[in-house]
Amino acid sequence: MAKYIARRLLIAIPLLLVITIIVFLLIHAAPYDAIDAMTNPKMSQETIDAIRARYGYDKPVWVQYFAWLGGILQGNFGYSIVSKTSISEQLAVRIPNTILLVLPSYLVAYVLAIVLGLVAGSHRGGKADHVIDGIASVLIAVPSFWLAMLLIFVFGYLLRWLPIVGMQTVGDGSFVDVLRHYILPFVTLTIAFLPDNLRYVRSSTITQITQDYVVVQQAFGAKRSEIMFRHVCRNVLGPILTRLGMALPMLVTGAIITETIFSWPGVGPYFMTAIKGMDYPVIMSILILSSALVILGNLLADVLNALADPRIRQGVIA
Amino acid sequence: MTTNQSSLSRRSFVKAAGATAAAALLADLGISASDARFALAADGGSTFTYAIAGDPGSNVNPVTTNDRFGLMTLKLVFSQLFTVRSDGYHWYLADSYEESEDHLEFTLHLHEGVKWTDGEPFTADDVVFTYQTIESNEDADAYSSLNYGDDGKVEVEAIDDLTVKFTFPFVNAAALEKLQGPDGVFIMPKHIYEGVSDFENNDVNANPVGCGAFTIAEYQVGSYLQFAANPDYFKGAPSVDNVVFQIITNESTGMQAIQTGEVDAWIATSEQVSQMDIQGNGLTVTPYSENRVAYITFNAQRVTDASLRKALFYSFDKKAIADAAVGNEDYYDLEYTFLPTTSEFYNPDAVEKYERDLDKAKQLLSEAGQTNPTFVVAYNGSDSLQTNACLLMQEQAAEAGITLDLRGLESAALSKAQRDASSEYDITFGGYIMGIDPDTYSSQFTGSSGNNYSHLDDATIDDLFEQGRVETDNAKRHDIYDQLQAAIQDAGAFYPLYSNDRLLVTGRRVGGIEDATLIPIYTFEDYDKLTVTD
Repeated sequence: MAKYIARRLLIAIPLLLVITIIVFLLIHAAPYDAIDAMTNPKMSQETIDAIRARYGYDKPVWVQYFAWLGGILQGNFGYSIVSKTSISEQLAVRIPNTILLVLPSYLVAYVLAIVLGLVAGSHRGGKADHVIDGIASVLIAVPSFWLAMLLIFVFGYLLRWLPIVGMQTVGDGSFVDVLRHYILPFVTLTIAFLPDNLRYVRSSTITQITQDYVVVQQAFGAKRSEIMFRHVCRNVLGPILTRLGMALPMLVTGAIITETIFSWPGVGPYFMTAIKGMDYPVIMSILILSSALVILGNLLADVLNALADPRIRQGVIA
Repeated sequence: MTTNQSSLSRRSFVKAAGATAAAALLADLGISASDARFALAADGGSTFTYAIAGDPGSNVNPVTTNDRFGLMTLKLVFSQLFTVRSDGYHWYLADSYEESEDHLEFTLHLHEGVKWTDGEPFTADDVVFTYQTIESNEDADAYSSLNYGDDGKVEVEAIDDLTVKFTFPFVNAAALEKLQGPDGVFIMPKHIYEGVSDFENNDVNANPVGCGAFTIAEYQVGSYLQFAANPDYFKGAPSVDNVVFQIITNESTGMQAIQTGEVDAWIATSEQVSQMDIQGNGLTVTPYSENRVAYITFNAQRVTDASLRKALFYSFDKKAIADAAVGNEDYYDLEYTFLPTTSEFYNPDAVEKYERDLDKAKQLLSEAGQTNPTFVVAYNGSDSLQTNACLLMQEQAAEAGITLDLRGLESAALSKAQRDASSEYDITFGGYIMGIDPDTYSSQFTGSSGNNYSHLDDATIDDLFEQGRVETDNAKRHDIYDQLQAAIQDAGAFYPLYSNDRLLVTGRRVGGIEDATLIPIYTFEDYDKLTVTD
């Protein structure tokens, strides 16, 4: 198993390099760059040229790429061209903020999805199924930015129950204050993460219930709950575990829109601003992190799957 | 400046959440509530919270910073010698000046008894150091205003501790304004910045020592920047105890936050003002001019025939365009020349106004030998004012038989398109906020300048700017700038549209706006004069 993981990790390195090259070239293929985003009508051409040279834009793309890659290999993400701040310092604060928001909401959505999905799937065509599936269908069509604005309007503006901006009130960092700021973005994300997983659990439950082994169990007179928890559940949870691993990159880029709307100081607003400003060192850093997490997530999913399913485990080792 | 990184409490938060047990989460948060990492510098006292749309970062410095939010941060922490506004000079670190008879030397007398926030005295050496540093850094914001390359640079010397002399290499009617560069020159302490070579990334920027009305109390990455009043501010202690720049990038969120009172001030568009419950929420809308001129300009190297360009101008009804863009006529002035209406040199009577005349437009088209020309127009697609204006211009031009092919771009792409004479766009939409003196506009129109977005090389225009620059007699300058305004209109490449106000929305707690003086870019000249009542 360890050998398998090591091999997979080794394969990930050239893959990451290819990703960086593609992203770098795509950014440089754009008709404008970060310096264009910074200029204003008052800046003289000399100043613009000096800034351009300062950031190496006067050199060929491949020179710029290797300069950037050299920095990354030394563990140096570099500085944002637009805001001049150290990218690693920003990410060191922003990634934990994003995880703080995404992880609990994803896990709550995940547990809710499993419970509701199993209930709906096992009562296929029944009242509970109609209600749960109906809600999931509606929620899957609701864009998260719209939901966020709706929550802000109702709970922030009309009822004035909850604050809508940021992570805490300036000068008040109490638990209650942070929690009050937390509720709306948390609810938004939980609702955003829920329907996809719910429908997945529901449909795999339905598939499993029609399998021969369930019919056999029924023929032997097993109770419904016994069949559900002992057999169906186990088979449904395998693929669901895979989804948990694949959700790993969400920890960095899982809440871009929601964070921006609630001014949550996470990766989202930073990434959005960087994309608008073609701030390539920032874009590259975040993309490297999230692609590394995609690769790791896939690996994690495979490992989890192997651990959960002895058949795969044997196949993997073989 | 402290950067709160409540990593431990976050980690425990995450751990608790991982268990998805709400109770555990609450309990864990409860523990971290007593944690000092969450307890901010709650200095108490009054706080003015201003919503800003971007993160100024922690690398703001008096040399290279040139973005709006970075400059606003500088304004609170550092001081200038003086500022030049539409209502005249505002004196800060300098009290007065004398001008030599040849108009080349300017001797400034500095304010006595000013101290940096670390207790060191402010002296003429700090001024000399600041100016010399800017003049030797090509990427400094004010570099081009002080260093003229082969034509020389502004020499600066300390006469004594409280006197500084600036010597210009040539006569410049806007000399004092040039000393403030395009956005203002903030004096930095020599004893702190001496030895700093990289002004953007160093250990000094995060904990700035200034002599402004405020000091940075705390910077929370992506959240807010908190300033505390400097009780020893040389103009008297500020009325508010804290100023907070709250970062809100989403406009809709900002609109709700000002209405719920989460922030005390926010900048709105007139469309947003009309969507808000201003009265019900006790808000005040204060429109003020940034002297910003919105315009469209032809790329004269692509559309070389002036008749063709003028034909388009005659198809426009400027008032209708401004109404469509801004929405409320109380919030804009129509512009007829390159100068904003607030300039003392603005003279719409001296110029061709291009009032709507479809017959004339068609006649000019036939003179140019064209009946149905098409022009590609680049504008900022995420700017609702520009979008609305463009749509109406397209409709009006069609009545003269001219097709406008509208292309909404990202602002950075538009900026690039404007500078590039070989771009694919015939017309670009733009706007500028320049200085008070007409000479500060020369970069937008003189042939060799990279900011001349019409790419028109007109010797008359260049010559008139040169004459205006060196003329020190005000009456003669008026005459020169009358001719210049007419010449730019006659060239038929630049079409000024309107000067729209910036709309400051404030909550009911905020006072002292008039005393604080509304100015371009920084919003307030003196944040220390704002008051907040609970």
